[in-house]
Amino acid sequence: MKRTIIYAKKAGMFLFYMVLFAVAGLQILPLIWLLFFSLKNNHEVFNTPLFSLPSPPRWENYVKVWVEGDIGRYFFNSLWITTVSVVFTVLLASFVTFAITRMNWKLKHVVLGLFMVGLMIPIHSTLIPLFNFFMKVKLIDHPMSIVLTNIGFNLPITIMILLGFYNALPRELEESAIMDGCSVHRMFFQVILPMTSPVIVTTTIINMIYNWNEFVFVNTFINSDEYKTLTVGIQNFIGQYTTDWGAIGATLMISVLPVLILFFFLSNKIMEGITAGAIKG
Amino acid sequence: MIKKAHTIVWMVIFMLVLAGCSEKTTEKGSTEKGDEKITLTFMHLWPAGSSKQHNMIVNEIIKEFEEQNPNVKVKQEILENEQYKNKLKVLGASNELPDIGMTWAAGFLEPYAKGGLFAPLDDLLDGGLRNNFVSGTTEPYALDGKTYALPLELNITPIYYNKGIFEKYNLEAPKTYEEFKRVVQVLVDNGVAPIALGNKDRWTGSMWYMYLADRIGGADTLKNAINGSGTFEDPSLVQAAEEIQQLVKMKAFIKGFNGLSNDEAKAEFTNEKAAMYLMGTWDLPQFTTNEDVPKEFREKVGFFKFPTVEGGKGNIDSWVGGPGVGLFVSENSKHKEEAKQFVKFFVEKWGERSVTRAGVIPATKVNTENVDLPQMYIDVLNELANASNITLFADVQMNPEAAQTHLNLIQSLFGESITPEQFAKQHQEVLSSTR
Amino acid sequence: MDKVMSDKRVIALYVLPALLLIVILVYIPIIMTGYYSLMKWDGIGERTFIALDNYRQLLKDNMFWKSVYHSFLLAVFSVFSLGGYLVVSLILAGKVKGANILRKIYLIPMLLSSVAIAQLWLRIYHPSNGMLNQLLSFLGVEDTPNWLADPSIVLYSVFIPIIWQYAGFYILIYYAALKNIPSSIIEAAIIDGANPWQLAYKIKLPLIAGVIKVTVVLAVVGSLKYFDLIYVMTGGGPDGASEVIASYMYQKAFRSFNFGYGSAIAFSLLILCIAATWLIRKLTHTEEEVQY
Repeated sequence: MKRTIIYAKKAGMFLFYMVLFAVAGLQILPLIWLLFFSLKNNHEVFNTPLFSLPSPPRWENYVKVWVEGDIGRYFFNSLWITTVSVVFTVLLASFVTFAITRMNWKLKHVVLGLFMVGLMIPIHSTLIPLFNFFMKVKLIDHPMSIVLTNIGFNLPITIMILLGFYNALPRELEESAIMDGCSVHRMFFQVILPMTSPVIVTTTIINMIYNWNEFVFVNTFINSDEYKTLTVGIQNFIGQYTTDWGAIGATLMISVLPVLILFFFLSNKIMEGITAGAIKG
Repeated sequence: MIKKAHTIVWMVIFMLVLAGCSEKTTEKGSTEKGDEKITLTFMHLWPAGSSKQHNMIVNEIIKEFEEQNPNVKVKQEILENEQYKNKLKVLGASNELPDIGMTWAAGFLEPYAKGGLFAPLDDLLDGGLRNNFVSGTTEPYALDGKTYALPLELNITPIYYNKGIFEKYNLEAPKTYEEFKRVVQVLVDNGVAPIALGNKDRWTGSMWYMYLADRIGGADTLKNAINGSGTFEDPSLVQAAEEIQQLVKMKAFIKGFNGLSNDEAKAEFTNEKAAMYLMGTWDLPQFTTNEDVPKEFREKVGFFKFPTVEGGKGNIDSWVGGPGVGLFVSENSKHKEEAKQFVKFFVEKWGERSVTRAGVIPATKVNTENVDLPQMYIDVLNELANASNITLFADVQMNPEAAQTHLNLIQSLFGESITPEQFAKQHQEVLSSTR
Repeated sequence: MDKVMSDKRVIALYVLPALLLIVILVYIPIIMTGYYSLMKWDGIGERTFIALDNYRQLLKDNMFWKSVYHSFLLAVFSVFSLGGYLVVSLILAGKVKGANILRKIYLIPMLLSSVAIAQLWLRIYHPSNGMLNQLLSFLGVEDTPNWLADPSIVLYSVFIPIIWQYAGFYILIYYAALKNIPSSIIEAAIIDGANPWQLAYKIKLPLIAGVIKVTVVLAVVGSLKYFDLIYVMTGGGPDGASEVIASYMYQKAFRSFNFGYGSAIAFSLLILCIAATWLIRKLTHTEEEVQY
């Protein structure tokens, strides 16, 4: 009797793992599809099955994209704009969330409400007013306009996610730090930040994804090629009447790889680094 | 450990911000020099990646213009179609249009012209340019007697067909609509999709409707219904809508057409899964010179004119089509004269090269004698010369609000969710309320 | 302690920079949108003040209400799917081998831009060559559905990629929240004899309730505001069968050149989101945390 239960349990576990990994497989398929897609030409894109291998694989799509599409420059722009935006967003959001959840002041609910409403406006309706504004402060065709809008529009969601986590943090550590004569600033940087490292990594990843794929603002506020980002670079391959899908695939592939690499290989290391430091400090 | 990480992070940020700021300042510093150097901004929708030949010609023309005018530099900004329209709008709202840009005719142009954002270009036309254009191509860009843009392309819309499939079932290119319906029936009976149509984009279905409206009611009925001197509830327009639904019931169009994009539909035609494809002459390169499309297929493609309807008022040489994009000059441009000169230069040079190098039929007259073109081009150009009428696409003729409604109604009509009478009535309503 | 934590200068220092950014970059457009919504404007030329006429027209506009209904449906679907993500996260946060890798793999769709996702699903849904219909034909189904052309199913066809796109996002958040629970509590519960069900339901979930509430708000507001895949995959069609508020706004403002009306739609969306958030807050009222 006991034996059967144990077998049933093992079979159940086996099935369970199968499902889990099958679903994971489904999630990877899009990447594989994108890879094949980027190696086909227009005709093959439409007329061959989803997962068929292109023959011959058209690596020239990648060459074309790098040379004609000026991808190198767009890549660099995407990189630095995303990095700066993410760092500032997470930092500023942490400041605000800390102040709202830990400090005592009357207006905290109002301010939180203000931030949350920022979540609710559809982007397209902000284009004309923001364009006018940036025109007046001479930031049109300047990457700062993108960095600022990235930060501004991602603050609400970052704050909201941080909020949930900050609320769950135990307060004993802070209280003892204050008792020991620690200033608020020191406490924030040396106690709170390390304690929230998991959610910081989470929001960093989320912000990174949003900013990397940001498109509407870059398109509207940036005119010169030298400041354009990867997402806009895709447009190079959409013509008035025809579209070069293989090249678009290649651009998308190039655009997704750094995010993947950073995400898969580095996120663990980053987390370890921050938590290790916290324990020592 | 934390402190170290902190300082590194701050240093990196500082450097990046500095890099971002300094790039901009160095650029600004170098443009001002000694004599009158001006920069013209030119926005267009021909990226190098997808429209290689177009883009090459543009760059050549710019280079030649700069050589002839050493104090002028032309700076390009290139966007794709949809984003171009969006950006133009945002720029227009803030009065920051580029010196030169592209625009479509009639309904698209109207708000910009009415808002005083485009400069009238009649002085260029009167200065001799008018004769270069095929007659009737500049009118769609005019409002109240002033012309606001000069066209670069001219297209008509034949029905491309797969001669191989037709031969297989002993079919011939139909001349009358009755013959056409018989062709459709034979194909359906043999399990071949007769017509490739991607109506997700809606303007594709609109062309089918427009031809039927033309063939049944004559060239003017639809035009008058749109401009208000007639009515959309004219019986011939209602009948045209009925014929569309008949075609749908006959299963003349590929499966799931109302959710397919034009590109996907074109793929069905190129893949020889559908026998016919009504599309503009901008696609001629696809069926003649484009090496990416299998040669075997390209050799099988021919075209015929939309058939006539018995008892209808339209004739077979009446086409749906018209000029495509044209060049405008911003009224608020600081260098209007130079911009106008550039437009004149561009139109002339473009006309000389566009058809042989990019496969684009310009709006200026083409001398077919000494050019080396694929046969289909010659045929099309001949048809163009013999055209009795070219009716501009309905969604371009109408004002933007009515155009959107029209496109949505087309999708409903093809989707059989409204009756032909409702189709006509709702058109009439939106056209009168937005006039 | 109290005094340190009420230092006004510190509060200002920590809050003002972000607040300033938001006020300038987000509130100015909100106010301008409200302003434009009171105008008759094509987005380019003159503006004429018409007070609440746009809103009056909005109330009578069937297409608008249809799009509101569709957005609302998406919100409902999204909230329900949160349950599924919670289950997955609970499983991953437990003692599952390879949880780390799996969690990252589940996030992959989120990394892809909407363009890529749209292209992929367009090919899955293609009426004749699509993966789905080819599979169905193979299984003997005669008249395979037109996933994107049939008005009665197009909305649901588009919902699937949308929900799939965000799975990783929510799983990421829930996983981080679950991992944040001090292991001492979990160990104590196990020692007390809790089985996995009880552990999840009575211990873990209540401890991450705050985070769950946040995700509900995010899911609802995100759904009401959603634009990307609808626009690329169906354009709102056929015949408005998959139109949502944001895509309808886009059509009116940028295609019909009726910017005043489009602004009224955008502003109404804002009001709707605020109302929805307030409702969620009322329904999930607790004392301890900072209310939102």
